[in-house]
Amino acid sequence: MFDQILQFVLTGVTVGATYALVALGFSIIYNASDVVNFAQGEFVMMGAMSAIAMSAGDGIPVFLSLPLAVLVTIGVGILLQRFAIAPARGASVVTTIIITIGASIFLRGVALLLWGKSIFAMPHFSGEQPIHIGKATLLPQNLWVMGGAAFLVLGVHWFFNHTTLGKAILACSCNRTAAQLVGINVGMMMLIAYGLSAFLGAMAGILVTPITFTSYDAGVMLGLKGFSAAILGGFGNPMGAVAGGILLGLIESLAAGLISSGYKDAIGFIILLLVLFFRPSGLFGKATSERV
Amino acid sequence: MRRLAGLCLLATIVVVLPILFPDNYYVTVVGVTALLHAILAVSLNLLMGYAGQISLGHAAFFGIGAYTSAILTTRYGWDPWAAIMAGLALTGLVSFLVSRPILRLKGHYLAMATLGLGIIINIILVQGDQLTGGPDGLGGIPTLSLFGWALDTDLRWYWMMGATLLGVVWLALNIIDSRSGRALRALHGSEVAAEMMGINTTAAKTGVFVLAALIASLAGGLFCHQQSFISPDSFNFFFSIELVTMVVLGGMASTYGAVFGALILTLLPELLVVFEDFEVMIFGAILMLMMIFLPQGLFVGLQNLVLRWLNRRRSAAFGAVGE
Amino acid sequence: MALLEVEALTKSFGGVTAIADLSFDVPPGQVYSVIGPNGAGKTTLFNMLSGIYHPDDGSIRFMDQGVVGRQPHQVAALGVSRTFQNLQMFFNMSVLDNVMVGCHLRTRTGLFSAALRLPRIKREEKLSRQWAREALAICHLDKFIGQEAGSLPYGVLKRLEIARALAVEPKLLLMDEPAAGLNDTETLEMRKLIRRICESGITVLLVEHNMGLVMQVSDRILVLDYGSRLAEGTPVEIQNDRRVIEAYLGGEVQYAL
Ligand SMILES: Nc1ncnc2c1ncn2[C@@H]1O[C@H](COP(=O)(O)OP(=O)(O)OP(=O)(O)O)[C@@H](O)[C@H]1O
Ligand SMILES: [Mg+2]
Repeated sequence: MFDQILQFVLTGVTVGATYALVALGFSIIYNASDVVNFAQGEFVMMGAMSAIAMSAGDGIPVFLSLPLAVLVTIGVGILLQRFAIAPARGASVVTTIIITIGASIFLRGVALLLWGKSIFAMPHFSGEQPIHIGKATLLPQNLWVMGGAAFLVLGVHWFFNHTTLGKAILACSCNRTAAQLVGINVGMMMLIAYGLSAFLGAMAGILVTPITFTSYDAGVMLGLKGFSAAILGGFGNPMGAVAGGILLGLIESLAAGLISSGYKDAIGFIILLLVLFFRPSGLFGKATSERV
Repeated sequence: MRRLAGLCLLATIVVVLPILFPDNYYVTVVGVTALLHAILAVSLNLLMGYAGQISLGHAAFFGIGAYTSAILTTRYGWDPWAAIMAGLALTGLVSFLVSRPILRLKGHYLAMATLGLGIIINIILVQGDQLTGGPDGLGGIPTLSLFGWALDTDLRWYWMMGATLLGVVWLALNIIDSRSGRALRALHGSEVAAEMMGINTTAAKTGVFVLAALIASLAGGLFCHQQSFISPDSFNFFFSIELVTMVVLGGMASTYGAVFGALILTLLPELLVVFEDFEVMIFGAILMLMMIFLPQGLFVGLQNLVLRWLNRRRSAAFGAVGE
Repeated sequence: MALLEVEALTKSFGGVTAIADLSFDVPPGQVYSVIGPNGAGKTTLFNMLSGIYHPDDGSIRFMDQGVVGRQPHQVAALGVSRTFQNLQMFFNMSVLDNVMVGCHLRTRTGLFSAALRLPRIKREEKLSRQWAREALAICHLDKFIGQEAGSLPYGVLKRLEIARALAVEPKLLLMDEPAAGLNDTETLEMRKLIRRICESGITVLLVEHNMGLVMQVSDRILVLDYGSRLAEGTPVEIQNDRRVIEAYLGGEVQYAL
């Protein structure tokens, strides 16, 4: 029993680490521009798919295709902000939601056109020799996912707290006009925020695809899970989003193992609803009372 | 009677189309779907456009209506109309129970909660295969008959859906233009101010949520008997999003806008089929472009353009008289 | 007997005590003003009187009925209406519709009869429209009747909020800074409007920073400082109150006279 649970926890943390990266991307974009980016999951898909496509057959070697794929995805993120989000500034919440949904359908359409409906695999980074912990096993790739996610999360944390650039982006999200007045190039900051968010998505995709495989529509569920995780943690609180991601991964993995794998997604969402009912601003969000 | 001029125009269009083009695929097949979508969009617009409560899970209530009726008729031999009623009762109960905790949420949290609700109900449809037939769906659903008149052709279903749509639009217009409708629009504008005017905003939100769910459930009941086969895919997250898109595309807080949005979003994929592999991509691009350039919605945007043009002509005419 | 009785009211937000052990009575038929520097707790007081915030301690009685524990719409049903410091207009509605919302409590029909457009709807709509017109007329807003609320200038919106509150037919009207942001002509008109409202039998509780307006329009004044009562009395008493002059009014009293 203990070994089984340990196994579920290990799997859960791996999946959760992916959710955490997507959720972190969600929060960064939300903080910077008040937009819920429903195309966040497509960044994950784009990162993985373009890496696979570039090194398919006699393509370029993996150590080149991975960074290139990340760059491609960052480009997609920047284009998204420049040509879809920026022109619609000041639009209502629902309008921006539909724009990003349109963007996600568009990106899925592009992937469908380029790569079809097949499911693609990616080689593991460092072999598939299982590591045994008690009776539970772990693939080296699981360690890559957890380690990579931890590294990225710490990096983002450092970026926002200890670099001028990071603080400038935070300033824009607090008060756009004031940021502009003190000479921050707000437009540029938005581009960087979207680029950073796309970067995190692409990294998540590249790290996890050797375990999960990918296809043109793999981003949909990941996007929804990332959004759930961000809400679970408290929207707009990046580290809350990360915690929400890990938690959601754990809940799903335990639910799948102990209750029913068919209902695992439902259980994840039920817990999310319960959290919202009792703590409407998420687990780590600040409760705000409307001032009148 | 000016109040209902638009409804008369809509009725005329609905009636004239099949008379002009009796056996046209776009009228009797696509048309029925468009009418169904319009019913759903009008109901969602009451909740979202007027009361300002976003829902990304509306397809769930459509699904509860459809599956209740399908299960009761195929597995328990119920009369289809009684089964539709049972679907309405179940939808009413579910929507009432979830409405209070869900509608306390706002903005993105509300969006997430309704989205989650829709996904949970869809998963139940997929997983509860003893009853629902699971992912393979449920077939052999009998068709409806109305006063001994069996709805067994596309055209008859067109009339049925058309009549239902006109009824639902009439209800929606009546509600919006009344004390209750003003209460809904008011709480959209400012919830505290609405409360201060004596509106029980919790009750008002619950009321419109349940009403929208009931209309969707009715549409579901009709849909399952029209299709005779249903599967969970017709009630998933994507369809909820499609409904939201119809409402926003037409123009929020406009009943005719919702009808228009439903029509466009039903026709578009039919027309894009010729682009084959490019279809999905073009659909996404059109969605983005319309929202970027006409954020107030196509119908409302066009309506404003026409009004402005009329005004200009009228003031030009006045100018001429003045001189 | 007082219309409104506030006793030992206390409210704090985290570490900030916005209202501390505050007691006062508002007699009926008067314009009763609450003044005090920014952050003194005036809006917080209004929010508690209207049921939006729940006090930590103390009691509020309106016409001998407890207010604490009721929701805002229930407080409104007792006969309390208000305007807001930051406009809370229904910008998605027309001017007439905005004020017709104010008639909510004077009408009865529900969702069901509305959906079927039963005959009583028509009667009720006609009445509401008439009441709304009357409220608009009191505030001299007749000429804006057909316009959308979103298209109106600030000064007009301030009065529209009052018209909407009047349509509720309140016994007590809470006004939070009705003259803020108005020019001199508009302020003068606001003063006349407040007096007209009071003379029509509605008790007015007024929060305002414009001392000239307050001194001219009020029957009694309550001075708040850090959420507690500094002084209370007629405008003349307040202007001559040593503590008030020291703590708050300073040279302004002279200016106001
Ligand atoms: N919802 C809230 N959350 C936290 N603090 C609040 C809240 N509402 C008011 N406060 C605090 O309570 C104190 C009193 O605020 P209030 O708005 O009542 O002052 P006021 O007298 O209306 O000031 P002004 O003249 O500027 O309108 C202030 O310190 C304010 O920051
Ligand atoms: Mg104030």
